[in-house]
Amino acid sequence: MQEGRPLQSKQINRELLVSILNSPKWFFSAIGILGFIVLVAMGAAGYMINQGFGVTGLNRPVMWGFFITNFVFWIGISHAGVMLSAILRLSKAEWRRPATRAAEILTVFSLLTAMMMPLIHTGRPWRTVYWIYTMPFIPYDYARGIWPNVRSPLVWDPSAVYTYLTSSILFVMVALIPDFAVLRDRTTGMSHRIYGLLAMGWQGNPRQWKLQIIAGILLSALILPVFVSVHSIVSWDFGMAVSVKSWHSTIFAPYFVVGAVHSGVSAVALVLIILRYIYGWQNYIRHEHIDALGRLLIVVATGWFYFFVMEVIFGFYGREADEIAVRNYQFMISPWNIWMFIFVGLTYFVPVSIWLSRTCRRNLWIMSIACVSVNIGMWLERFLIIVPGLARKQLLTFDWYTYQPSPVEWIIIGGTFAMVSMLMLTIARVVPLIPLYDIKEGEILRTEIKIGRVTIPAVFRED
Amino acid sequence: MVTKRVDHKWGMVVDLDRCTGCQACVVACQAENNIPINTKEYFQQRRAYEWIRIERYWEGEFPNVKAKFIPILCQHCENAPCEPVCPVFATYHNDEGLNVQVYNRCIGTRYCSVNCPYTVRFFNFWEPVWPERFRNQLNPDVTVRSRGVMEKCTFCVQRLRRGEVNVERRGLEPLTGERIPAADRKLNYRQMKEGNFLPACVQACPTNALQFADQYDETGPVKEYFDEANEQIETREHGGRVDEAHTRVYRLFEEVGTKPNVIYLKKVEPFPVEKA
Amino acid sequence: MWVFPDAALMSQDLSVKTRSMPQLFTLALMVSGALFIIGIVGFVARAATDGFSEIAPWGYYMAVFSLIFMISSAGPLVVVAFRFTKSHWRRPLSRVGELFSIVCILNLLMFIPLMFLLPDMTNPDGMVEGQLFLRRTIWFEGPIGSPHVWDFLGVASLTITSLAILWVSAMPDMAESRGTATGFRGWVYNRLAGHWYGTKRQWNTQKAGLALLGAFYFMTVIFVHFEISSDYAQSLIPGWKDSIFPVIYSITSLQMALGAILVTLFIMRRWGGYEGYIGKSVFWSASKVLLGVTLLWVYHLFAFFITFWYGRLEVEQNIIKYLIVETYGVVFLVNLLFSFAAPFALLLWNPVRRSAWGPALAGLLVIIGGLAFNIRIFVGAANAAVGEKIYDYFFEHVPSPVYPDIWDVFMVVGGIGAAVFVFLAATKLLPLLSLWEVKEGAMYQKWGTFIRGEYMILAKPE
Repeated sequence: MQEGRPLQSKQINRELLVSILNSPKWFFSAIGILGFIVLVAMGAAGYMINQGFGVTGLNRPVMWGFFITNFVFWIGISHAGVMLSAILRLSKAEWRRPATRAAEILTVFSLLTAMMMPLIHTGRPWRTVYWIYTMPFIPYDYARGIWPNVRSPLVWDPSAVYTYLTSSILFVMVALIPDFAVLRDRTTGMSHRIYGLLAMGWQGNPRQWKLQIIAGILLSALILPVFVSVHSIVSWDFGMAVSVKSWHSTIFAPYFVVGAVHSGVSAVALVLIILRYIYGWQNYIRHEHIDALGRLLIVVATGWFYFFVMEVIFGFYGREADEIAVRNYQFMISPWNIWMFIFVGLTYFVPVSIWLSRTCRRNLWIMSIACVSVNIGMWLERFLIIVPGLARKQLLTFDWYTYQPSPVEWIIIGGTFAMVSMLMLTIARVVPLIPLYDIKEGEILRTEIKIGRVTIPAVFRED
Repeated sequence: MVTKRVDHKWGMVVDLDRCTGCQACVVACQAENNIPINTKEYFQQRRAYEWIRIERYWEGEFPNVKAKFIPILCQHCENAPCEPVCPVFATYHNDEGLNVQVYNRCIGTRYCSVNCPYTVRFFNFWEPVWPERFRNQLNPDVTVRSRGVMEKCTFCVQRLRRGEVNVERRGLEPLTGERIPAADRKLNYRQMKEGNFLPACVQACPTNALQFADQYDETGPVKEYFDEANEQIETREHGGRVDEAHTRVYRLFEEVGTKPNVIYLKKVEPFPVEKA
Repeated sequence: MWVFPDAALMSQDLSVKTRSMPQLFTLALMVSGALFIIGIVGFVARAATDGFSEIAPWGYYMAVFSLIFMISSAGPLVVVAFRFTKSHWRRPLSRVGELFSIVCILNLLMFIPLMFLLPDMTNPDGMVEGQLFLRRTIWFEGPIGSPHVWDFLGVASLTITSLAILWVSAMPDMAESRGTATGFRGWVYNRLAGHWYGTKRQWNTQKAGLALLGAFYFMTVIFVHFEISSDYAQSLIPGWKDSIFPVIYSITSLQMALGAILVTLFIMRRWGGYEGYIGKSVFWSASKVLLGVTLLWVYHLFAFFITFWYGRLEVEQNIIKYLIVETYGVVFLVNLLFSFAAPFALLLWNPVRRSAWGPALAGLLVIIGGLAFNIRIFVGAANAAVGEKIYDYFFEHVPSPVYPDIWDVFMVVGGIGAAVFVFLAATKLLPLLSLWEVKEGAMYQKWGTFIRGEYMILAKPE
């Protein structure tokens, strides 16, 4: 797996810090455009808060639509961070080295973006701020002795997501300490002081390295249960609903977790390909890494497909008329069945056919198409679970309706994508998106062995 | 916690045989509870507020077409799916069997509406606006809700409270104003009828299709039906089968298990429509 | 932690071991054989007293069938999975897992009576008020022959595929002893591996064959688990609509199979004289997988529980009362303790995972837990809705528990004994260690010392 050339420490520092120490012109225009989109989205959200939810396409019975889909989608993307970082670190896979930092940072930002959604999608967000955001300090209506209802999945959600957010930030900050030290030593003035503070006195001596490695392993192991529980809890927003029969399925927890890993890892692959292109990191993000991600994704996608088929089969199994009505709507009625067909194709058949071929896995253009297809498909998946279930809730056909998103919703969704991209680009100016010391460690641990006449690459590992 | 003062358990019976679909209950409810005016726009957006609505189903083929009406209102379920899911306890079940909505706690997540199988919960998508001349018509006993808040049928709890205050605490007969001795101060059906403490829809219904009383009140019209409904539950629990062909009593979506406090009586069909 | 058996010695040593019948082994064979006979007695007695018309008396038989089925079907699955991930420590355990496929034959035979027991999909009383016309099954309208034909085909294809995997994997080992083996063994080796000469082409074909058969087996196992768990458990309890149950079933199978493999490895090491071949590294790595699968098991169980418990719907509360809290409450506690609490508490500790007895003990515990799982699910399913109650919409009345009578005990004990007997007999046919794989491992590994430490070079072909 060692296809690249051996790299020297100085070269690594210079190339990976290029995003921080230089200011290319395209950066400002990119931030400008993305920032503009974010501002427009914020304006749209403000308009919605001012006028009321009438500006969206929500109605009775479809009370949840684009915003909740987007919320679940971004939580899903956030799962890649842990998958790649923690699991691959614990299983000592070499090919994780360039991917971990970008994945962890993507996790943090997608979680932050995801938490925006429950805030603006409530009817009275000014009260929700008070409740969700200040809850640890000024709990809602505390004066009357009424705490939040812990029986509600909507209270489990922020508990899980905040735990995950805190753990992820901790994870990223601890992993960044050696890299902050490198930056501290290469900057002056205010930057030097800030990096110095963040590096917390890192000198790089053996004792500190030992502590750093132990901390990394501990955090990886501890964040794994959080990772599994977050998306399970988000899925239980739907799983606990007894009136929407197609949601009340026991398989939702693992189904959503595997789906989140699927969309998240694809998103990280896409981010890596983009980073390689814009910063010229061909030496670090090599074809072998994208190849390995593709192979991992085949397994994850097949696992996801199994859970999806189980969910649909048992939906029909119960033979309850209300659930059959929902399934009928999803699979038989246009345009929902067309979306269904597109979704299954984009999420499983198109990408997996691409990933099965080694040539395609090593072609970065084709891989980015596959990863985008997965993410579009997974966004559609959440949408097709949420809205048809609500549109055909129970058998009071008098109340059946449909859903059409309004421009405000489209703008806000677009705004979330722009926000995550903007945040990632901005943080690339401050933090190296490929971990310097991980790459250097990989260089130190790699060597070559002569066996007979053949020289083969090798990696040192400790058992 | 609500302290229990007296023993009431409110229940409603809807007799589908008597319902003509005239919508008097809908109008009365709108007037009593400060429900925003439904414009054509709201209706087309499917956001019309009708705390009690008449659902109309067509049966049969032309020329033998029949319309069937069923008034659907909040069922005040004992095992309400809307209650556990509210993150801020804006909806809870009180001791009188009512499912209560607390407007000023509601932050509008709409999970309660998602989880209600009868879809009887309404969300204020727009800020309700009444023209100047309509404002004098608003009921001072009922809060006016702003945008972003959930609302639904409350069994006209403001009227029930007024009845309880007048009869049970002050001890005054509604019509005559006589003092009631302390031992007898329990709001009964006659007093509710005389004092207009029944919900607006019940009061307005021209055919008495809607009946409302305390489920334990022997003088009230609903006790026999609730007794029968509870017996049906007992029978099923012990593995027996309920003879559905010989009773009119049923509850909506019984199999979902919400235990509603509203009972429906089946319509008696003298000339049943031929089923294909 | 590493062992490097000498290739030349290995073949000879293992062929001796395969042929010999040491005292302890003979004792185990006789005890399990006796249990097998007891099992047959129990089966015949049950058939004589109750016949095959009603499923209710056969609950314990279904439970033991499921136990054997789960372990024997998931054994090769474990091996396939570890081969797929190219785990270098899997080499000693692969043949043990593959040999479970011979128990699959016993499994198939045990399955045949179950086909007669399954109640009809169509309600024999026709359209009855308050009842289903077609029982809820995964077969919906019922394509021709369902469910019996498809279930049988499923179990049969699993047996055939796992035997094929065993054959392809054992071919080089059989070929090695083909000249020296005598009697039945010799006949089998010559018939099945007569053409194997170890050419490069043959090795490549074998590798590709194992990969393809493995992938096919993986998909078949998941499907057949889904079939059996739905037809013989979920469909028999009216109103039990649970999409995660096939997943829990597969995970329990995986857990039990891994446990059984670890127990077998420990016995081989401790009493079988295989400690030269099975190092602690196998236990160290496989126990991590077992820990992970145990956690997965409890996670899925919780997902099922919380979804059913939350809404306070009567039909779901009844299912919970039946399978978890009231009727089979004690069995559930045993299940939870042995499938999760005890193995988890045991496998958390590094020293335990590093030893050989720790993972083996955890493996034994999960098998006991799995037995409790099967009892509560299958005995529960067989007795949930007796007679025409199987066509009810929902489970309205929670029945009381069914305790085993003497024939049930005979059948359970006998079934386990039968499986052990067949496995022990199979170990006399084929060597318990995958010789070619271990030798290949030895070729890929090289060991040395550096100052005060030791190092190993491990080649990983990509």
